[in-house]
Amino acid sequence: MSSSDTTTTVPDTEHPARAGAVRLDRVTHRYGRGGETVTAVGPVDLTVPAGEFLVLVGASGCGKSTLLRLIAGFEQPTHGSVQVSGAAPRPGGTAGVVFQTPRLFPWRTVRGNIDLALRYAGVERAQWPLRRAELLARVGLEGTERRRVWEISGGQQQRVAIARALAAENPLFLLDEPFAALDALTRERLQEDVRRVTAQTGRTSVFVTHSADEAVFLGTRIVVLTKSPGTVALDLPIDLPRGDVDAEELRESKEFNELRVRVAHAVKSAAA
Amino acid sequence: MSTTPRLSPAETIPVPEKTPASRRPRVAARVRHVALPLGSLLLFLALWQLLAASGTWSRTLVPSPSAVWDAFIDVSTTHDGTRGYNGTTLVEHLGISLRRILIGAGIGIAAGVVLGLLMGTVGWLRSLFEPWITFLRTLPPLAYFSLLIIWLGINEEPKITLLAVAAFPPVAVSTTTAVAAVPKSLIEAARALGASRWDVVRDVVAPSALPETLTGVRLAVGVAYSSLVAAELVNGLPGIGGMVKDAANYNNTPVVLVGIIAIGVSGLIIDGLLLRLERVAVPWRGRA
Repeated sequence: MSSSDTTTTVPDTEHPARAGAVRLDRVTHRYGRGGETVTAVGPVDLTVPAGEFLVLVGASGCGKSTLLRLIAGFEQPTHGSVQVSGAAPRPGGTAGVVFQTPRLFPWRTVRGNIDLALRYAGVERAQWPLRRAELLARVGLEGTERRRVWEISGGQQQRVAIARALAAENPLFLLDEPFAALDALTRERLQEDVRRVTAQTGRTSVFVTHSADEAVFLGTRIVVLTKSPGTVALDLPIDLPRGDVDAEELRESKEFNELRVRVAHAVKSAAA
Repeated sequence: MSTTPRLSPAETIPVPEKTPASRRPRVAARVRHVALPLGSLLLFLALWQLLAASGTWSRTLVPSPSAVWDAFIDVSTTHDGTRGYNGTTLVEHLGISLRRILIGAGIGIAAGVVLGLLMGTVGWLRSLFEPWITFLRTLPPLAYFSLLIIWLGINEEPKITLLAVAAFPPVAVSTTTAVAAVPKSLIEAARALGASRWDVVRDVVAPSALPETLTGVRLAVGVAYSSLVAAELVNGLPGIGGMVKDAANYNNTPVVLVGIIAIGVSGLIIDGLLLRLERVAVPWRGRA
C-alpha cells in the first residue's frame, strides 16, 4: 500500500489539512557581512507536504542544520522565502524543535521542564498533570517526574527534550541530529520511538542527520544535500512499511539495506 | 488482609557491613577536620598568654586572654549598676549593627541585582554604568564616608548609605557577568517553546545567573562587614563598631579585642549560613 496519496495514520489531535506543510522558495543563506560572506545554503527549492517525514542528510558543514534553523524561524533567509503552514515561521509558534543536545533547564526537575513547556503552550494549569503524564508516557519516561535533569542519562534527557517539544502540539516537528551523541543501542531505541510517535500523531517532521542508516529508518522521504553551499543532490521517496512493524525485522530487510547503501553513496558523492 | 512479600534468596543476602578498615580513613579525616582548627586555636591562645605574661609590652598594648575574657563578661552583663558597655550589652551592640547591615547591604544587594540584570541584557547600559561601578568599587568606604556625613548628617542615614554603597558593586558586577554569560542555547530552547521576552528573563536568565549572583551577595556581605567599623566611626554608639571606636578612645584594649572577635565570629557564622543557603537554593551550580 502506498502512503503517498492518502494519510493512513490516525492523528490524535485535529490538524487543519495543510497545517505543518513547509515550502522553501529559492532559499539562500549567507553568514557574515561585506566581502567576507560564506554561502551556507542554497539556492534550495523544497516542498514538504503535511504529514511527511522528511530527512535531510549530508556530510558535516553542508548547511543542513542551517536549513532547519531557517524552517524553525531562528534565522532569516538572505534570499527567497520560507513558509510553514502558509506563513513565515516564528520560533515557538510554528514548530516543536529538538536540538543536538537536550538543552533542558537544570534548575527544574523533569516535571518542571515539561510544565514550563505546557505553560508556554498556553495549556491551562488544571490540565498540566494529565498532559504531563501523557507526554512522559509517550517517550517512555513514566515515574521520572521528580528527578533532577542531570541525574538521568543522556538518552533520557533527550527523551524529556522530545516530550517538551511535543507539548505545544505544533503540526511541525523539527529535529536537528538529536541522537548523534548517544550510544548505538539508545540511539536505535529513540529512533523507534520517534518513528512511532510521529506516525501516531501524523505530524509533519523534518529530521537532520548525517547517518544514512538513520535517514532510511525514519524518513518517508530523504533529501541529500551537497557540500557548501548546500543544495539538493538527491530527492528520494521511501516506501518502507510504517505503523506496527518490527524494527529489527525492518533493519534486517533487503529493501532497507539497499536503500541504506544507496543513500550512503549519494551522501559520499555529494560531499566530494 | 496482607500478603507477606517473599524474597528470593538473592534479595535476602544482607548488605555487607563496612569493615573497620574502610571506615578508619573517614574517621581520621573527620578528626583532622575538627582537631586541626581547634588545635591551632589553642596554640594561638597559649602563645598569646605567654606573650602577655612575658611583660615585653605593656598591658594596654597586649592584654592577657583572661583580661579579654573578663571584658567579654563585663560588656555582656550588668555589674555594679552598669549595663554592658555604655549602657548596652554586647549582644545588643551586635544586634543593632546587624540590623544596619541587613538594611544597608539589603538595599545595596537589591540595587545591584536590578542594575546587573539591566546591564547584562542591554549592552549600552553596561557601557554607561560599568566605569562608574568600577570607580566606586576601588574607593575605600572611609573615603566617601566624610561626604556622606556632610550630606546626610550623623544619624542612621549615612551609616545605612555607606553599607549600601559598599555592598552594591560586587553584586552588580557578578550579576552583570552572569547574565551576559547565560547560555544562548537555553534562551533559544525557551524561545522554541514559545516563551515571551519576559518569560525568558524570568525562567532562563534569572535562574541561570542566580549561582553567580549569590556568590556576589556573599562578597557584598563580606564587604559590608568590613566597612562596619568605618560606618560607625561617627556617632556609632550603640553598635559593635561604635563600641570598638569608643573603647579605642579610652585605650580600653580588652573591649576593642572583644568587639573585633565578636565581629569576626558573627561574620564567620553569617558567611556559613549564606554558603548553606547557596547550596540549598542552587543545587544545579556547575551542572548547566
